[in-house]
Amino acid sequence: MSADVELSDVSVTFGSFYAAKNVNVKVNGGEFFSFLGPSGCGKTTLLRAISGFQEPSEGKVLIDNKDMSGIGPNKRPTALIFQNLALFPLMSVSENIAFSLEVRGVSKEERKKRADELLELIALEGQGDKKVHQLSGGQKQRVAIARALAVEPKVLLLDEPLSALDLKLRQRMRTELREIQKRVNITFIYITHDQGEALTMSDRIAVMNEGELEQIGKCDEVYNNPLTPFVATFVGENNPLYGKVTGIEGDKAKIETADGQYLATMNESKKLNIGDESIAFVRPESLFIPRDGDNFDNKIDVNIESFEFEGNLKNFYASLKSGAKIKFSVPNAIDTSSITSGSSIVLGFESSKSVILPKASLAID
Amino acid sequence: MMGIYIFIFFAYLFGPLIIMSITAFNSAEFPSITPWECFSFRWFNEGKIAYDGQHLAGLLSDWRLHDGIISSLIIGAGVVTLSVPIGMAAAIVLTQVRSQLRDIYYSISIMPVLFPGVIIGISTVVLWDRIAGLGGEGFIADIGRNGIFLTILAQTCFISTYCFLIFVARLQRFDQTQEEAALDLGASQTQVFFKILVPYLSPAIASAAVIAFLFSFENYNTTVFSILSDQTLTTVIASKVRLGISPALSALALTIIALTIIAAVTYEVLRRRAEKRYAESQEKFVKEKAADNRINKKYKAGFRIPKGITAILLIVVFATYGATQIVKNDLYGQSCIDAADKEKKSKFLEQLQTLESNELTDEELSGGSLGGNQDYGDIFGDPSLFQDFGGFD
Repeated sequence: MSADVELSDVSVTFGSFYAAKNVNVKVNGGEFFSFLGPSGCGKTTLLRAISGFQEPSEGKVLIDNKDMSGIGPNKRPTALIFQNLALFPLMSVSENIAFSLEVRGVSKEERKKRADELLELIALEGQGDKKVHQLSGGQKQRVAIARALAVEPKVLLLDEPLSALDLKLRQRMRTELREIQKRVNITFIYITHDQGEALTMSDRIAVMNEGELEQIGKCDEVYNNPLTPFVATFVGENNPLYGKVTGIEGDKAKIETADGQYLATMNESKKLNIGDESIAFVRPESLFIPRDGDNFDNKIDVNIESFEFEGNLKNFYASLKSGAKIKFSVPNAIDTSSITSGSSIVLGFESSKSVILPKASLAID
Repeated sequence: MMGIYIFIFFAYLFGPLIIMSITAFNSAEFPSITPWECFSFRWFNEGKIAYDGQHLAGLLSDWRLHDGIISSLIIGAGVVTLSVPIGMAAAIVLTQVRSQLRDIYYSISIMPVLFPGVIIGISTVVLWDRIAGLGGEGFIADIGRNGIFLTILAQTCFISTYCFLIFVARLQRFDQTQEEAALDLGASQTQVFFKILVPYLSPAIASAAVIAFLFSFENYNTTVFSILSDQTLTTVIASKVRLGISPALSALALTIIALTIIAAVTYEVLRRRAEKRYAESQEKFVKEKAADNRINKKYKAGFRIPKGITAILLIVVFATYGATQIVKNDLYGQSCIDAADKEKKSKFLEQLQTLESNELTDEELSGGSLGGNQDYGDIFGDPSLFQDFGGFD
């Protein structure tokens, strides 16, 4: 069974340092929810607060509407999957999986039955007698999940469990995790600094920076309508265009930059006034090389500097007149042989694909 | 070239032990190789009754040695049961304390190793003498003056530190998230300790127990004070050496060396066997994983000459040479011993007779021409001796 998890005004301080500050989140039962943020942003601290290893300095953690303060990690209906998995190396795979049952005094036959069931769930039937070191990285991953699921927790917490795997395996494990979550139908709270992971797996994500929540929302919402310059540049890539607001037309604002005027969409909750210092963001994939008949809201003159081939995409790095840098991507299928280093071209982008936000600091790459 | 260095190094290390071991088989009263009397096992058994009627005990008949070994074993067991838990607890505490406190705690914990053992022994006796004196007669007074009890306590003081260091080394590689994982899975702190930490520490527990026992067994300078009126093996040996060394001690040394070698070889054989089993399972696993023909090349081990062959040959040559010399010169068995004893007895009688015939007269003994003040020219009789002495003011 799944349970809601609610963080109500949670702050965690170490001395004078805020690891998390006034965090308010409500994770719904059965949801796949991700905390996304750079390392050191406080997301692991939050996870430890939910699992009970870290008491919040202020605020409350509620699981299933019950206040968890004073309840230790071994008494909470949560299970945590550690970044290094923390499998017990001296036990066999089955013993690892059935550990939570063993400490609860479940009989040996019962434990074996449950372990076999779970081995089947993670597609490792008949491998229960192996030692942990005999498994491959992906198998260890799945054993850790099975071990966490053995006691049927209401909430599963995952602390960047895929970060140690290679790319292909990581991609496969994303799908597998998602499938397991659907099958067992419990709340998953996932911690990651990899926006690709967060976007592909989650129902909703919360973006964190320096201990504070920047934005909570569905994946496409966060990607398309970032609330802050940090979110705009941390989730996916974005080209910032700095300037001042010179005009407002409905939900769009006109921004005057050193390189010209552009029209961009305002966020409903971040209204701007004329004269405000602001940043317009346009993503590399939203910048196009205009073809005959195309008519974009915005045009931008660039000077190509360099080029890199990524496989499905070709990335171009260009500079504007003012010296500002800009990146744009073109699908590999499009012929770009005429664009070489040093050539000057005009790019276009739609105002609906560009957001304008009040000036604030960006995510530093 | 390196072979020679290694040979010299090992000769330096083991030479004295080998010589001592050989003397255990010489029937002479003093441990020696030359002159060789007879090859015999008497120092391992009954020893001998000397020609002058003195009983020189062998290993089997020396009850003081036996008592010493028994108390040493009891003390060793006591020290192991105390030191291992204390060392483990101290090491676990070290993992829980943070930052600067950690360094201070570590320094204090290893301090007993730096104290002279003598001081630990004496201070234990002094402390427990006071404690025993507090309550009059009774249990406290009894154990406070019990040498074995005090020795266990005194040795535990510093031996637990060695155990502490062993546990610290093992715990440094412990992944603490395992404890958290177990807690998260519902285990209580006690369960975490017994199901996660103790299994992880079990190799360290074993080595700490062995080391604690060995340190206790061979300790002298603490024990000699804290043992009071009892005796351990080391104090017995020390007191024997003071009276004159006997080949029974060589026999004891050889026995201890033999036991050590047997234990070491057994351990090594078991370890290699386990390693081989592990390597086989690993290989099987790798072959399962990589089904292609990349790793399926068969490697066949041929017969190899062991590297230590020269040393083994050398020992065999010397041993054969020694044995043939002994057999050729009939330097073994009861007949040889009887002959040697007879010869010694006759020499002894001869000396006795010489002494008797040279007996001094009473007059010769009471001074004669030597001795007495006269021979020193009556220096204290000189009246001008203290003439220039100013006296005390």
